[in-house]
Amino acid sequence: MFFHIVLERNMQLHPRHFGRNLREHIISKLMKDVEGTCSGRHGFVVAITSVENIGKGLIRDGTGFVTFPVKYQCVVFRPFKGEILEAVVSMVNKMGFFAEAGPVQIFVSNHLIPDDMEFQSGDMPNYTTSDGSVKIQKDSEVRLKIIGTRVDATEIFCIGTIKDDFLGVINDPTTI
Amino acid sequence: MSGEEEENAAELKIGDEFLKAKCLMNCEVAIILDHKYEQLQQTSDDPMNQVSQVFEKSLQYVKRFSRYKNPDAVRQVREILSRYQLAEFELCVLGNLCPETVEEAIAMVPSIKTRGRAHDDEAIEKMLNDLSLIKKFE
Repeated sequence: MFFHIVLERNMQLHPRHFGRNLREHIISKLMKDVEGTCSGRHGFVVAITSVENIGKGLIRDGTGFVTFPVKYQCVVFRPFKGEILEAVVSMVNKMGFFAEAGPVQIFVSNHLIPDDMEFQSGDMPNYTTSDGSVKIQKDSEVRLKIIGTRVDATEIFCIGTIKDDFLGVINDPTTI
Repeated sequence: MSGEEEENAAELKIGDEFLKAKCLMNCEVAIILDHKYEQLQQTSDDPMNQVSQVFEKSLQYVKRFSRYKNPDAVRQVREILSRYQLAEFELCVLGNLCPETVEEAIAMVPSIKTRGRAHDDEAIEKMLNDLSLIKKFE
C-alpha cells in the first residue's frame, strides 16, 4: 500500500553551500539522498512531495559541516503481511513465479498456486489449469495476498499466495 | 522488533505509525507522481534519467492498476468511502481492488467484519453500489 507520511532526517551540509540558496541546496540534497531508498520500517521512498520544516542548523565540531533537521512529506510504498494487492508477473519457473507490485518483488511458490494449475515449460513458461481456461505467464496480472515479508537493510522481499478465494489471474495478456 | 511478528493487514495490525498515516489509493499516487514527473520534464531534458528506479516502477504500476483515471472521480471515491467509518487502510484496499460482491469485499478486507464495527452486509452492498456507479459515470 502507498502512504503519505511525514519523515524526519538530519542533513549534513558543506559550508560552501551556505548563502541565499541554502534551502534549495538542502532540498535537492534531500531528494537525491532519500528518493529511491528503502528501509525496513517505512518501506520504499517513492517521492518527496513537500518539505515541511527545516530546523536550526548545528555546527559539527572540528569539520565545519552543519547538520539541519529536516521534516518532509513523502509517498512511500510499504507492503504488509495479510495485504491483498494486484501485481504483474515478471518471471515464471517450475518453483513458482515472481510478480512485481511497484518497487517490490513478490514470490509465489508452486505450493501456493492452486493444485489444479500445472507448470508448462517452453519458451513461454506458464501455469495452466487442465482445461486451459486460466493461464499465468509473464505479464499476466494477478491478485495475490502477501503472507510473509523479509526485510533487509535496503530491500523488502515478499512471499505471496493465490490459493484463496477471489485471488488469482485478473487478465491474461494473450486474450486482450 | 516485536511489532514485526504481529503485523497482519487482515486484522488491521499495521503499526500505529501507518494506521494514523494517510493512505493513498493507486489512482491518487498516479496523480501525484504524474505531476512530479511533469515538473521534472520542465526543468530537465531527460527526466527518465533523473528519477530513481523506485519512482519509475511505482509510476508504471499505479498507471496500470488505477481504477479511476479522472481526478474528480478519484475525489468522489474517497468522499463516498469515507462516509462508511472505514480505516484509511481499508478505504484504500477497497478503492484499489473494487470488489463487486459483498463476499469479495469481506475476503479482501476481513477487518470490516470484525467485532464492534457497524457493517452489515447491506451497508457493504450499498457502499459497493456507490463505487460502481462512479466507475460507470466516469
